[in-house]
Amino acid sequence: MAEPGHPLPIALVMPGNVRAGQVISLVEITGGLGAKIDAQRLADELGADLAVLLPILDAAEMLGLVKSEKGEVSLTDLGIKFQKTSKNKLMLLKDKLATIEPFRTAMVLASKGKPVTAAQVADALGEYGIRWHYKQELNESLVKMLLVHWTIYAGLMSYDGKSGKFQKA
Amino acid sequence: MAEASSQIAAGAPIVTVNHVSLDYRGDKEPLPVLADVSMTAGRDEFVAITGPSGCGKSTLLRIIAGLTKASGGDVGVLGSPVTSPRKEITMVFQNFVLLPWRTSLENVTFALSSRNDLSDAQKQEKAKGALDECGLSGFENVYPGELSGGMKQRVGVARALATDPVVMLMDEPFSSLDDLTAERLRKDIYSMLINPSTSVKTVIMVSHNVEEIIELADKVVVLSHRPAHVAGEVMVDLPRPRNKKSEEFFGWVDKVYALLS
Repeated sequence: MAEPGHPLPIALVMPGNVRAGQVISLVEITGGLGAKIDAQRLADELGADLAVLLPILDAAEMLGLVKSEKGEVSLTDLGIKFQKTSKNKLMLLKDKLATIEPFRTAMVLASKGKPVTAAQVADALGEYGIRWHYKQELNESLVKMLLVHWTIYAGLMSYDGKSGKFQKA
Repeated sequence: MAEASSQIAAGAPIVTVNHVSLDYRGDKEPLPVLADVSMTAGRDEFVAITGPSGCGKSTLLRIIAGLTKASGGDVGVLGSPVTSPRKEITMVFQNFVLLPWRTSLENVTFALSSRNDLSDAQKQEKAKGALDECGLSGFENVYPGELSGGMKQRVGVARALATDPVVMLMDEPFSSLDDLTAERLRKDIYSMLINPSTSVKTVIMVSHNVEEIIELADKVVVLSHRPAHVAGEVMVDLPRPRNKKSEEFFGWVDKVYALLS
């Protein structure tokens, strides 16, 4: 997060409804279907609606796991490595995740030594117009879900549900 | 009991269902639900039960679990009859059935409440081990409401594994999950359950999803319309991991559909 008075660098923002397990499945299935696959066919193969698939594709592309050109999806070198890794796949994405919101801001806030809440992260990002939902409560809830579902798996943060606070792992 | 089960040869029956029938008795005529159902589940076997909607698949699973009393016939586990829930039989439910006011760790530890042979520290250790086995290391202090559907089901599996069961029963365990999440969990579940580090010796899963069944099962028991009897059994002789796009895979899917129709 930028210091007060400085603009936030252009941010990559994780879609609010995408979970780590969905990205893992997408990469595994894409890898299993061949070099390049049409996004519509991928949706058909998964039995998923294209509207559901597209945010997951966006997330996978943001993480550098797939590339999408003219509607055709293929794995990147990182995606192939990710597919072949059997355990703790998300550890491979630790550095990349730390550049994507809301993970980046959570890490910056937590680096000051104090555990942070999802509300604090949501408020800080809200100042830069980054929100996942226009209703404050739902926005905070989505930020919390994103932090829980990605940062723990990636080994970036730990979370205590009793206090609702995240801290650097 | 786990020691007794380890002496059983691969393929030898762990669960036996002998001529089980069930009638619901109302004010008028009795309604027959299951009629003369017999099947077995052997050591290191993943057995799937399928059949038309409402035919009594889940009811049969509950009878095997000792949760519902059969009208006739009997169920045995490791050679002794099942007449009530037993510690060596555990169940994973479609809708997770987690206590929302308890963390993941507390939900799993709760399943060990009656284990007077373990100290609180040992219960926690065991619960942490089960969560780790299910890929949830780091999520010990997260509440169910903060987890995705796939994670909740992993907590459900961890809770079941923590009790050192010999028989794992699963009732439509993937049907509340979205396609991608279910795909991921299906990929993991076989190795999570049938491996030497767990006490599980046999798995019986109820499912209506035939592709899911062929992906996972060694044996498929197909039930008929109500009153359900065994319409047929299919031994799925496919190497693992199974390629869901292969012609061979669809051949096995067709075999099951042929029995269903």
